[in-house]
Amino acid sequence: MEVVARCDARGRTVLPVVRASGQLAVRRTGAASVHLVATAFGPLGGDDVEIRLVVEAGARLAVHSVAAAVVLPARGESPPSRQVVRAEVAGVLHLAPEPTVVTARADHRAELHAQLSDDAELTATEQVLLGRVGEEPGRWTGTTRIERHGRPLVHTTIGLGPGAPAWLPPVAPRAYVSTVSMGGPQAEVATGVDAVRLPLPGGWVGTAWAEELHEAVTRLASVTPRPVQDLVEVAR
Amino acid sequence: MTAALLTLADSRLPAGGHTHSGGVEQAIAAGLLSDPGSLAAFLRRRLATSGAVAAGLAAAACRAADAVDPVASLAALDAEADARTPSPALRAASRQQGRGLVRVGSRAWPHPAWAALPAQPHHPLALGVAAATGGLTPRDAAHAAAYLSISGPATAAQRLLAMDPITVAAVTARLAPEVDEVAGASIGGLPAATDPLLDLLAEVHTARNDRFFAS
Repeated sequence: MEVVARCDARGRTVLPVVRASGQLAVRRTGAASVHLVATAFGPLGGDDVEIRLVVEAGARLAVHSVAAAVVLPARGESPPSRQVVRAEVAGVLHLAPEPTVVTARADHRAELHAQLSDDAELTATEQVLLGRVGEEPGRWTGTTRIERHGRPLVHTTIGLGPGAPAWLPPVAPRAYVSTVSMGGPQAEVATGVDAVRLPLPGGWVGTAWAEELHEAVTRLASVTPRPVQDLVEVAR
Repeated sequence: MTAALLTLADSRLPAGGHTHSGGVEQAIAAGLLSDPGSLAAFLRRRLATSGAVAAGLAAAACRAADAVDPVASLAALDAEADARTPSPALRAASRQQGRGLVRVGSRAWPHPAWAALPAQPHHPLALGVAAATGGLTPRDAAHAAAYLSISGPATAAQRLLAMDPITVAAVTARLAPEVDEVAGASIGGLPAATDPLLDLLAEVHTARNDRFFAS
């Protein structure tokens, strides 16, 4: 899947490339926004999706999804499913998909690799729920690497679910949310109940966890600076 | 060669590690750590995250000490360490311990590689250079880093909870296969495993003024 956002001669964003195939379709839902639509159940174990997002200087792009992604295991020995987002950002990118629900026995890997140029703004929100109601939790591994001019600003991998080496009682939450925001002022540290916001060079990353997704979202909002609460509202 | 590795992992090496609890002090305050079972769980999650990251960086720094341009290689690794350590409290703790290790290591094993390190390097970088200058391998550096990620915190728990030293030693010793596994898996790359709980504990801890340990 690929979307390119460009700034035209009048300073408006146009989307010269909006294309997708396989398990994901992509719909234009505004002058500078797209929604991802799953074309089948899943992701399923073994699925491998790559999403390329290019936001050129002066352009804006918002990427949402129409519904939660419910990750299901393949029949028998299920290999992990994988979704990789590669973003090159010189303009403004908001990435706020609906939650990912990882069902029992499913194993999902989510990666975000972003290259920022000097004036780039990036806000990316991730919401994860392990298991549907009354179901055993699945396994989720999320990696975020953001670089500016090749210099790493943040690079973290979080593993959740049974078998993840650092997902151990008494702190083994079913719900996890995280927002990374780059291109604004560097925020100070903020801490809350099962929520923490940490400064990054020219931005911040906020993380919260809970047993239920709505609790985790509320906790993240408690440590999130004002302007981005809108995004969390959208994500909710 | 083995004696140099034992020196590097020895808690009596005066590098300042004894003033850090690796999150144990705040985990106890938060009610997450109170007995040998919860100590083992805490050490496991630390080993799998900051231990793996430190092991990968220490092995890479050991190689960088012999690189064509050690200054650039070690500066790049220092940036990778920062990117994997967004918590300011954990960054400060790592750099404090790095500086302490440079002080003792550069006297113990004089070598031009020490001058290639950035000022106040992250601890795993200093550990990697210490290993290289002590005649050790990247594998040794990774093992020392993985072991140190749990040995200091285990001692801190023993002191803070007045736990039986034999029990704590047994908990640590039983983790040896996992320490070896984490070190072995980290040698070839730069793991980025992180635990938001450890970030949160470190930031709440550093804001306290009644703390016993520096981190």
